[in-house]
Amino acid sequence: MGRFLKKEGHKDFLGRLKEHAELIAPVTRDLTRFEVIKDINDINLKGKNPFFPIKKYFLPNQENLLHIRKGLTKAVKEHSDKRIIFGARLCDINALSVLDKLFLNSDYPDQSYKQRRENTIIVGVNCITPPSEYCFCGSMDLKKESYDLLLHENENDYYIDVLTKKGEELVKYLPEEESDFPLPRTDKKLEEKNLELYFDNQYWENDSNLCVSCQRCTTLCPSCFCFDVHDSVNSATKNGERIRTIDSCHSKDFTQVAGGHVFRDTRLKRYRHRVLHKIQFFKEKFGRSMCTGCGRCIEYCHSKIDFVKTINENFT
Amino acid sequence: MIYEAKKYKIKDVWPETSDNFLFKIKTRINPQPGQFVEVSIPGIGEAPISGASYNKHELDLNVRVVGNVTNALINLKKGDKVHLRGPYGHGYPMGDFKGQDLILIGGGCGVAPLRGIIEFIDKHRMDYGEIHLFFGFRTPEDVLFKEEMDKWSSKYHLNLSVDKTEGSNPFNCPVGFVTEILKKAELPTHNSVIMICGPPIMMDKTIVILESKGFNDKQIWVSLERHMKCSNGKCGHCMVNGKYVCIDGPVFRYDEVKGIDE
Repeated sequence: MGRFLKKEGHKDFLGRLKEHAELIAPVTRDLTRFEVIKDINDINLKGKNPFFPIKKYFLPNQENLLHIRKGLTKAVKEHSDKRIIFGARLCDINALSVLDKLFLNSDYPDQSYKQRRENTIIVGVNCITPPSEYCFCGSMDLKKESYDLLLHENENDYYIDVLTKKGEELVKYLPEEESDFPLPRTDKKLEEKNLELYFDNQYWENDSNLCVSCQRCTTLCPSCFCFDVHDSVNSATKNGERIRTIDSCHSKDFTQVAGGHVFRDTRLKRYRHRVLHKIQFFKEKFGRSMCTGCGRCIEYCHSKIDFVKTINENFT
Repeated sequence: MIYEAKKYKIKDVWPETSDNFLFKIKTRINPQPGQFVEVSIPGIGEAPISGASYNKHELDLNVRVVGNVTNALINLKKGDKVHLRGPYGHGYPMGDFKGQDLILIGGGCGVAPLRGIIEFIDKHRMDYGEIHLFFGFRTPEDVLFKEEMDKWSSKYHLNLSVDKTEGSNPFNCPVGFVTEILKKAELPTHNSVIMICGPPIMMDKTIVILESKGFNDKQIWVSLERHMKCSNGKCGHCMVNGKYVCIDGPVFRYDEVKGIDE
């Protein structure tokens, strides 16, 4: 069951969100990006998808795992405030489903990720038209999941899809009515192929020859999560932290082992690995693609390397 | 908290070779053969190291000095503490190998995890048939577990070899790559299992020889080396073609990883 919000009630709705908890939403300054909202008039849902995805609110670029004091370690107490992320699109929201598979895995749950997920209410917005020509989410089997509320804009109102009790609490003042909404459609589509058959295809090399290992693709990807764990201590006191920092499979030392050997020692191997992980490996293991088709890795690539085009047109 | 490590006392430590040190640690962490632990010194960092023993009360770790953490570890002495978390990963499924002959092939510090298997076999000797050991090292000075070679040779079919000698050969063992020794050996190809641990090139050459002898891929088990950072299937560092070496491995049946390229 969903709710309907009249367009004139839009600001009142945002005001209620801001009253409820810290509100994070897209704001356009130099770029459009998510930030903490002081004035709801700053929120901008028009134009491009925010440059950075919402993953940083669940997996910060740097995070302390353990305190190191006098040669001993102590777990960092997880703490996260309640907050609402408003204005995320389904590509970024479905990327949370991907991260959940790993970080909420029952054998190895990540407590800080879990707490941030539990303390965050996601109020998404559905894309009526793709915000970029590079979007290809229409071919990535996106699901209506991992949000609390999702707004779909109609001509005169918004239909709000309600998935959780936390979401329901925020909209119970609105009229209730059963309805539905279509998933976003995109002109650009990734064709489904068994990429194992094209492992030695020349076009991997053609694409990777354009790559400069800048790691923009992994930074801007809503579901790339690779990280490094290392110790950072004050050289005098030897006190410090064991830290998790975001990492990238595009960096050369990513697969380096003690002694110096690097397993993926060429850009070809690293580029191919990332695409295969996103499109094939993750799906084989978890039943869904890791890529959600946001298109950022293509749009913001220095060389506009387009793996979707390569797979569609050259892997034949 | 999945990253939390606990401290344990070093009961003893001694050099096995010029760059390999054996640590005996008082802990109930008892990796199954082939599993590994994350060893750390707070302030320096963590390193994944395979168990080299099978004992409920103490854990042996063979530390080869190759990186920051291992360089710091060797400065520790008896009575000092190290931090451990684990054990992690899937080891060799020893239960499935019952009733079969076992062939262990190790190169260099790859022999250390195989020592854990030998200790397991010692405790479950009736469960297995003939035990063949093929251990290769660079030179006689690089031979690990020198004290134990006599014991293993009296109980099992031990084939010790060194790649070269620069003087004496105290073990009176053949000189040449372990693969050369393997080539000449007569091995039971039926009802037998092979476990290999060593440098990638040694494992590749070993498998070619084993295949030429008539072993099939499902009889062969390999242990893959990667730098596991989180050891719980998240950080991505150890991923090989979609498999996390830290939780899906580090031990794989060869047909699962045959021909993988990166």
